[in-house]
Amino acid sequence: MIDIEPQVWEMLGRYIGAGLALGLGGLGAAVGMGIAAGQANEGLMRQPDTQGYMLRTMLIGQAVGGSPSIFALVVGLLVLFLPSGRLEGAHFAAAMVGAGMSIGLGCFGSGLGCGWPAGKACDGVARNPRHTTSVTSSMVIGQAVAQSPSIFSIVIALMLLFVVTAPDSVLLTFGMFVGAGIAMGAGALGPGIGSGQTASGAVHGTSRWPESAGLILRTMLIGQAVSQTPAIFGMLVSFILLLGVGDVPLGMMGLAVTLGAGISTGLGGIGPGIGSGAVGDAACQATAAKPRLDTLILRTMLIGQAVSQSTAIYALIIGLLLLFVF
Amino acid sequence: METSTIMSLMNMIATQTDAGITNETLISASSLIGAGICMGFGAIGPGVGQGYAAGKACEAIGRNPQEAGLLTRTMLIGQAVAESTGIYSLVIALVMLFVIGG
Repeated sequence: MIDIEPQVWEMLGRYIGAGLALGLGGLGAAVGMGIAAGQANEGLMRQPDTQGYMLRTMLIGQAVGGSPSIFALVVGLLVLFLPSGRLEGAHFAAAMVGAGMSIGLGCFGSGLGCGWPAGKACDGVARNPRHTTSVTSSMVIGQAVAQSPSIFSIVIALMLLFVVTAPDSVLLTFGMFVGAGIAMGAGALGPGIGSGQTASGAVHGTSRWPESAGLILRTMLIGQAVSQTPAIFGMLVSFILLLGVGDVPLGMMGLAVTLGAGISTGLGGIGPGIGSGAVGDAACQATAAKPRLDTLILRTMLIGQAVSQSTAIYALIIGLLLLFVF
Repeated sequence: METSTIMSLMNMIATQTDAGITNETLISASSLIGAGICMGFGAIGPGVGQGYAAGKACEAIGRNPQEAGLLTRTMLIGQAVAESTGIYSLVIALVMLFVIGG
């Protein structure tokens, strides 16, 4: 029989949690910044005269797109060095792993998503240097919205670090905390990637048809808002898991119910988030090319997004059934 | 060597739980987690696929707005077919919840 001491549990949780936070959270932003730099080089190859504009746009895009990895760094350092006053032993370890999972997966999506609009903006500066300002502002707005899933995941990670209280049962605690981390983290992954894709379509459209920038912005914001619904579902289930679980069974069944609900809602949001983002991408480009068809394209986009959200709703239903029926 | 490690881990988990783990609890618990995993992974594919179809429909309507009705209809039929695997996952998840797990 192994007897693991509470301090060892705490170290175990800290190391796994910080590894998940920084390993996953840095990955997306790194790839995204690389996409921006690659497109900048490609643009400079075609138009070497634009290097002043290009450097500025690339650096702004990389700076905004890099912020999810900074969120991950902050939470990762907290996970490593936060004193373990409120929770002890295995309970503390579960909270740290959950926080790392939430922030790591959430920042992965947003970091990767923010890279595409930055890349398209660099491409657009080379294509149309006179409209650098409108291209850059469309990029920054799109990136800012694409970061909101990572902000949701910070909220859940900070709740796991500072707010939650644990029940006595170790297995139930593990299910609640890690389940909330997966629900929020994986739930934010798809919307982060999808919103970024929508923003990249909008930036591309703005660079080719700068005169329809206003309509493109409207289509982009609506598309991004719809593609972020799975992240809201994930946050809802995380809140229920962390604050509102009333009479779930203790022990093994409690672990199954809470972890199952988190996995279902979280993973179920990945596909609909990415899919709705792809619809938004195409709709922004179509609106840019044919601004007089904007309402027709907007209607088709919303129908398509609604249908592609259906599986996220099934996953939410299974998650809520697990939490409230069993 | 490895078996004894796993056995002692199982022992440790069993002593940490409030009620002992019986075979029935283990079976119900695995089918409940399985329902979550089934619906979670099953929802990924249809979501991406339906989004791809709708994106192409937006593109096509932008090029040829006269055929908007036909294109929307085709998109919805395609999406309904892509939905089928999501519904299979839902059915299996419900079976695992209410037939095995309950």
